[in-house]
Amino acid sequence: MEEKRHINIHYDKELREVKDSLIYVGALTEKAIEQGMNALLNRDTELARLVIANDALIDRLDTEIEEKCIRLLALRQPAARDLRFIATAIKINGHLERIGDMAANIAEKAIILNQEPLLKPYVDLPRMAEVAQGMIKESLDAFINEDVALAHKVRGDDAIIDNLNEQIFRELLTFMMEDPHTIHRSLIISQISKLLERVSDHAEGIADMVIYMVTGQSVRHKPASAENG
Amino acid sequence: MKFRLLHKFFFAFLTVGIVVVAVAGFLIEGELKTDLTMRIGEETAAEARIIALMPTGEIARQAGELAERARARLTLIDIAGRVIADSEAGSRELDNHLDRPEIQEALRAGIGKAVRYSLSLKKDMIYVAVPLQEGSRTTGYIRLSRPLTEIALATYGMGKTVFAIILAIVGVSLTIALLFSLKMLSPIRRLAAFAGQVRTGSISGTLRIDSRDEIGQLSDSINEMVSALQEKIQTADAERRKLESVFSSMREGVIVLDAENRIESVNQGIEEMTGRRHRDVIGKTLLEAFRNSKLHDALERFRATEETVSEEIGLGDHRPVMMDVTISAIHGKTEAERKTMLVFHDVTRLKKLERIRTDFVANVTHEIRTPLTAIIGFVETLQQGAIDDRGKALEFLRTIHENAQRLNRLIDDLLILTGIELGETNFHPERLTIEDALEQAMAVVAERISEKKLKLLKEIRQDLPPIRADRDSLIQILLNLLDNAVKFTPEGGTITFTASPGAEQDLIVRIADSGVGIPKGEIPRLGERFYRADKTRSRELGGTGLGLSIVKHLMKAHRGRMVIESALGRGTTVSLHFPLAQETT
Repeated sequence: MEEKRHINIHYDKELREVKDSLIYVGALTEKAIEQGMNALLNRDTELARLVIANDALIDRLDTEIEEKCIRLLALRQPAARDLRFIATAIKINGHLERIGDMAANIAEKAIILNQEPLLKPYVDLPRMAEVAQGMIKESLDAFINEDVALAHKVRGDDAIIDNLNEQIFRELLTFMMEDPHTIHRSLIISQISKLLERVSDHAEGIADMVIYMVTGQSVRHKPASAENG
Repeated sequence: MKFRLLHKFFFAFLTVGIVVVAVAGFLIEGELKTDLTMRIGEETAAEARIIALMPTGEIARQAGELAERARARLTLIDIAGRVIADSEAGSRELDNHLDRPEIQEALRAGIGKAVRYSLSLKKDMIYVAVPLQEGSRTTGYIRLSRPLTEIALATYGMGKTVFAIILAIVGVSLTIALLFSLKMLSPIRRLAAFAGQVRTGSISGTLRIDSRDEIGQLSDSINEMVSALQEKIQTADAERRKLESVFSSMREGVIVLDAENRIESVNQGIEEMTGRRHRDVIGKTLLEAFRNSKLHDALERFRATEETVSEEIGLGDHRPVMMDVTISAIHGKTEAERKTMLVFHDVTRLKKLERIRTDFVANVTHEIRTPLTAIIGFVETLQQGAIDDRGKALEFLRTIHENAQRLNRLIDDLLILTGIELGETNFHPERLTIEDALEQAMAVVAERISEKKLKLLKEIRQDLPPIRADRDSLIQILLNLLDNAVKFTPEGGTITFTASPGAEQDLIVRIADSGVGIPKGEIPRLGERFYRADKTRSRELGGTGLGLSIVKHLMKAHRGRMVIESALGRGTTVSLHFPLAQETT
């Protein structure tokens, strides 16, 4: 859409709007995950409540973007690149909405954890959040700049998250075995770790769609290393 | 260019020449033909009249000889049109001649002339007929005919002449066109070359064309135009350079959006504030470049109201910056020139100072009130009768004393801090070795180290140069840091003390513990007064929340600095950078 312009400037404007709205939601979800994690790490219940409240906006925009895309499909009957763009937009929109939900979920868990004493200083969880946030950021950057190489990198980062998730689980297991009082908190932390793992999956999903949008080839359900090598 | 002009001249001359000659030739040929035909006709008519005077029989008999003398063909025709005799063909072969136009004319007017193509001789012929008369009665006709070859010859000759003239005209017009175009072309080409130079911007001097005609005038106007233009360009250039240097040197960040709301330019300030490079943001929308929903909202609000919008926005990935953004319009003459300007003020420091100030007030009241509440509470309990229970009373008094001392410590610390900050503390700098100071500080915490079964490792190089510092301050610094290390390291942990020369004429002292560590986000705030990374725990351990703040300010007073590194769960390392003592002092 960047290089070639349509004769109908309204069509151009509509495509542009979809892209802008997606980036906007992207910015919101990025922020939501960041704030959700900060609420957890800084034990900031107020911030957690804000994240949960803000999710309503992400949900509303999700419906709006979907409607815009469907209207474009119906009225403009896009072909080739534009069709791929709209298909990508619909899927990325879904991923972002889910990430937003997960940010709210993390915030909910943070509120519960904040009511109990700190189990232990978080070490791996912040690292995991950092990687997951990096993946969201880079997948969105890849979308904006149509950067296939960056999208491939995001796909590769998923392995780091999986490792951290396992590591956290093992550590929590030892806590739970040593002291049954920690079971409740450990389970919640484990759920947060799982949520972050799923956030990274959605970031990977966005990266997949970026690759599809630019190259027209689907890389979903294929290992990241296969096309990196 | 050259050839086109040449062609134009050439064809113009050629056309005019050829048309004139052709028309003249055509007219003259026509005239010539009529004239000659008439003369030949009259000659022949005269001869025919002479022959007609002879008696008919005689004519018929001498037809051949008469024809030869008259250099013509002679035909004798009777009144009914039958050919009686013919000088060149047998009379029998010829058909009735009464319908011939010349005969008809002779019958009517006494003489008939006609020019036509003779089928029998295959030539243009002139026919002249006169009636034969006996008295007043017409008995027949005599007709003389001659070929018009003379005329054809005459017109052919003239055609050759005309053709030669046309060739000459072609030659002459080519020459004239060439000369003319060369004369005209040379200045025009120079004009064109000069205009080209002006267009590309490499103007050298003025255009010199010594001509008084229109081209000369044109070159004069061009020269005037160019010099006026140059002046304008220079002014605009200077103006642009001035604006550019203002734009790039101002500390505020500036973004200019074009009519389509894409980033048209950013200045150095933006690059420094946001860490985004020029080429990464140009041509993108604000959302694409900064992906900040608040910034986008602010822009949308500006677009809706068309009024200047001012908003505080957090930006930046690595280093969070608080921006005060002002969005305003740059009005242009056309829709395409309408631009939007965003000016960013970095208010991070301002915000931080504001927060520190409010935090300080909140903290200091809190820190003072906690022991005060305890003191008042216990005093009231004593007043209400507890004083009579000697055991309880002593315990209460001890608690009151502890809280009073805590208040005292707090106020002492605050005074130290204020003293350093206001520059009222008197330092007595002397040459000191780290080892001496460490020993004195250690004496204070040694007991608690052994209580917690902590391991203290000392790595102090023997050849370390001395530093110049105030003895009491140095001990205070080391004491505060050791105190923190002891407090936050669990039992059986390790504290490592190292001193080594640094890279830049300084001495680095490191106090590392294997304690709980500090979250990354908290580290920059550690030097703030009353700032505690772990709020509940620190207070339990009896800290005032001023220790690191005092260290920071004392280090500053000694022209050194403090750097804190930490990993959660692994421990914290505080590095002190002391400048070395100068040899002369």
